[in-house]
Amino acid sequence: MGVLSDFINMGNGNNLLYTMILLPALLAGLILAVPRLNYRLRSMIFMAAVSLNMLFALGVFFGGDMTMLIPWAGFGVNLALRVYDFSALIVLAVAVFALLVGMYSVSFLRSKDYSGRFFFYYLVTVALVNGAVLANNIVVMLFFWEGLLVTLFGIIIIGNREKPKAALKALVLNGIGDLLLMLGVIITATSAGTMMMDGISDLPIEGVGILGFVCMMLGAAGKAGSMPFHSWIPEAATVAPMPFMAILPAALEKMLGIYLLARIALDFYQLQPGTPFSLLVMIIGAVTIVLAVAMALIQKDMKKLLSYHAISQVGYMILGIGTALPVGVVGGLFHMINHVIYKCCLFLTAGSIEKQTGSTDLRKVGGLGKLMPATTVCFIIAACAISGVPPFNGFFSKELVFDAALESGIVYYIAAVLGAFLTAASFLKLGHAAFFGKTKLPEGVSEDKVKENSGAMVTPMLILAGLCIFFGVYNAVPLGQIQPLLGEALGGHDYAGWPHSLTLVVISVAVLLLAAVNHLIGYRLTGEGLKAVDHIHYAPGLHSVYNAAERHYFDPYDIVMLLINAFAWLSYGIDRAINWIYDAAFVNVVNYVSDAAKRINDGHSSTYMKWSFFGVAFIVFLFIILV
Amino acid sequence: MEGQVFLLACIFTPLLGAFLLPLIGRFNVMARNICALGFVIIAFLAAAFLLPRAMSGDPLLIYMELPLGLSVGFLADGLAVFMAMTSSLVASVIVLYSFGYIEHYDNQNEYYLMVVLFIGAMMGLVFSTNLICIYTFWEISAICCWRLIGFYRDKDIIRRADKAFLMTVGGALLMLVGFIAIYIQSGTFDLLELKGTSMSNWVMVLVLFGILSKSATLPLHTWLPDAGVAPSPVTSLLHAAVLVKIGVYVFARLFLVNFELDVVWQTAVPIIAAVSALVSAGAALVENDIKRIIAYSTISQLAFIFLGLSCGNMVGAAGGLLYILMHSLAKGGLFLCAGVVEHSLHTKDIRQMGGLSKCLPVTCVAFALCAFSVMGIPPFGGFFSKYMVINGAWELDPWIAGVFIFGAVLTVVYLLRVFVKVFFGPVSHPDIREGSWEMVFSVALLGVLSLAFGIFINLPSKLVSFIIESIGRW
Repeated sequence: MGVLSDFINMGNGNNLLYTMILLPALLAGLILAVPRLNYRLRSMIFMAAVSLNMLFALGVFFGGDMTMLIPWAGFGVNLALRVYDFSALIVLAVAVFALLVGMYSVSFLRSKDYSGRFFFYYLVTVALVNGAVLANNIVVMLFFWEGLLVTLFGIIIIGNREKPKAALKALVLNGIGDLLLMLGVIITATSAGTMMMDGISDLPIEGVGILGFVCMMLGAAGKAGSMPFHSWIPEAATVAPMPFMAILPAALEKMLGIYLLARIALDFYQLQPGTPFSLLVMIIGAVTIVLAVAMALIQKDMKKLLSYHAISQVGYMILGIGTALPVGVVGGLFHMINHVIYKCCLFLTAGSIEKQTGSTDLRKVGGLGKLMPATTVCFIIAACAISGVPPFNGFFSKELVFDAALESGIVYYIAAVLGAFLTAASFLKLGHAAFFGKTKLPEGVSEDKVKENSGAMVTPMLILAGLCIFFGVYNAVPLGQIQPLLGEALGGHDYAGWPHSLTLVVISVAVLLLAAVNHLIGYRLTGEGLKAVDHIHYAPGLHSVYNAAERHYFDPYDIVMLLINAFAWLSYGIDRAINWIYDAAFVNVVNYVSDAAKRINDGHSSTYMKWSFFGVAFIVFLFIILV
Repeated sequence: MEGQVFLLACIFTPLLGAFLLPLIGRFNVMARNICALGFVIIAFLAAAFLLPRAMSGDPLLIYMELPLGLSVGFLADGLAVFMAMTSSLVASVIVLYSFGYIEHYDNQNEYYLMVVLFIGAMMGLVFSTNLICIYTFWEISAICCWRLIGFYRDKDIIRRADKAFLMTVGGALLMLVGFIAIYIQSGTFDLLELKGTSMSNWVMVLVLFGILSKSATLPLHTWLPDAGVAPSPVTSLLHAAVLVKIGVYVFARLFLVNFELDVVWQTAVPIIAAVSALVSAGAALVENDIKRIIAYSTISQLAFIFLGLSCGNMVGAAGGLLYILMHSLAKGGLFLCAGVVEHSLHTKDIRQMGGLSKCLPVTCVAFALCAFSVMGIPPFGGFFSKYMVINGAWELDPWIAGVFIFGAVLTVVYLLRVFVKVFFGPVSHPDIREGSWEMVFSVALLGVLSLAFGIFINLPSKLVSFIIESIGRW
């Protein structure tokens, strides 16, 4: 017991920090202790937890810098936590989204038998994310970070226990990313000579530093959902409970991954513009933008479409940070915040539709605009934000990333603009099919049953939609928090207000108009909103590539598993060969020798006489030679 | 004097008490079971009482000199107490589990005799300060393991028990030759006197034969998957508490504490471990027998322990020692879970299983907790130890670290494959039920301990730090 009280008392006044971790985790345990049928009590504890977390996060945000340290695993691994402007900002953002999505979930999951487990995993996730963001010891950060694997797996698998493939895939891909991160952490801590994150600064990217940087970067980008660690997200979208998509892949994982990526680029390593490592990060970003959005374009299920966008948008953030230019880093971080707002909102609108109609497949559901007006409005605002329509928030952050991309190389700019075009095109298609045109409902759902959801579900969406507008029009507010994070690297710039480059704005608007024209053409050709991009999907050449992609030929998970299985069979062969030595070869040799010995001992006295004679002769011979 | 009572109780309660069990069993089955459990728990408690003395830096020693440089001695230092507590803790849970598992089979008296004797031999071995004593207890354990693997008495099963016996005893005899060579060189078997000397390379090879065959490391490993034919608590005992841990413990005792490990072996042992880790992990991915898969996983994880102990730096050694504990808890739990599944379904083929999480919820969660720990995922115990081992490997050689990262990826993949195949997917057996309460309680306890030692890592790591400091090599 003494250990436990030491553990609690060591905080010395900064109790707020570990409360951020312990409180959600303990209340999560409490939820499981409540009888299954008492949904009311369970959801009350859950709401209390996310609300208290919000309260404490505000305390952390306004409480100024704090640090604390508790001895823990020894060997340099101390439970060190630290609040400073960056971590405080992320913790606050995490708390806001946890509260909003939490409120939505309580209403969404009312009739689901897995709701208790969902709440449990949800709160543990919040605790772990808080821990990972607040950690000031890099191994402790890894501890909380990797712990998310458990909740990720759990939360996906409760959605559909008969189809575990998505959960398996999520854990394997994230596990590989996390093990790379572990190696990166080991290398970074060894070369820095300390595990304290505020003591690791500006390591050179050379020698082992290259491996350290690349491993950490891949781990961070992988958590954010970038390629090649992405392919579990669309699959999870189809089986996992809907609010999961809004909270984990769309919000918390993005913030965590980009937070670490920014720390790597800003603090840990000397990432300079124009170096091969900056290019590497930018290429990952650019490739992710284009390939994922291209896949999003052809999806017919709203959840899957949105999840490909969740991958694609992370490309912008990685591209922005990868440029290592101040405008890019600011743009990347601002885009992260914006992305979380609109993508969360979009997933929640998809959830609204699913709650009412039981499906998000646009071949079965469509034209819900009149039936669900609030959802429609929220969707339109969030869709404008993700497409980069001025003056919504996504526009401003995308312009910053465009600016940085153009400065780093025209190829990256083209990739980013192409991504913007396809994003706009796919959201025109999605919005058109889901909310406009003739009303379509799945069989067995009648039109008079479908109505707008309860206030508990609509309010979070409205707040998020409001934030999309607010962070656009008053972008000085978020940028005022983000820009100081760069410190001197910012170089005195201020990116708030209207974008600096008019040319880029004109190009962006032209691209949006082009997307609109493209949509009209597609609509004219097929007469259906859902098929408005079919002329791209079935374009000569592209068609076969899309087919291959749909059959998972490019799925990194399948490729990795193929290699691993090949390796496994090889090892199995080696193992069986070794076993053969013991089971067959060894036994045969022994049998052979004993048979031979048996044949010699044939029972005839003449044989034994011969042996005796030869034996004596041999001894005499030896004796003569030796003496 | 008091301390000596605990030390003697720790060794001789199970070692001698074991022989009382068949007698008690003749009169009362229940009493026999409780006594068996009691003897093991006494060993655990006695070891726990030895802890403060061991941590004080003045370890307890019982020593008796014999002629010809021979001696009998028991030393309760940090490493010995750590291993004794780990083994007896897991062993107590396994004995409790046996109550439910074994109650329908013949030869129960022999079963409990052998299990408790096995644990007694382990206790004797960990405290021994003398190479001949170590060898003696080593062979007692080989005999117990031979009887226990062959518990079901089928022809094929007996053949496999013979295989295990021949392979481990063969290795041990080579080791004995090595020990005798040490005696010829230095005139003593006493480890306290031998402390700080170095071993010639060919003696090292002989001793390694013994250690690697006992701890089932490539290429002397094939008896371990075959030993999966034993009753599940026995496999659990072999993999978690006693048998394979004897090898790693003796490695730690000889090469961390006593002898100087030649630089050659700081490369050679990690390479053997790397090959062992990868080949067995690959084999685990191909096998379809649940117990064979977990057995290959043991071979693979033992390689992590060997890597940590042999990589010649502090953090690696600490990781290796911690992993002995974490692996014992988690692997013990995994086998007991496999036992629950096997007991309910009467099959070990994972292709015939599916969706068991509905009918076996506790087992499912316990399996998950233990599997996550073996995978090295936080907040479970395996995380820190795996991190430290790989950190130690990195300081030794980046390539070795890379290979073990790949090994860790394979661990995630093969354990997840079993877990998902058995507990999720289409439901194969809709109307089975959990095992008896002893079984369910045991698996749940090991699962919870795997989690608790991850969160409260400060408890074991305090002891491990102490052990590392008292070795004082780095």
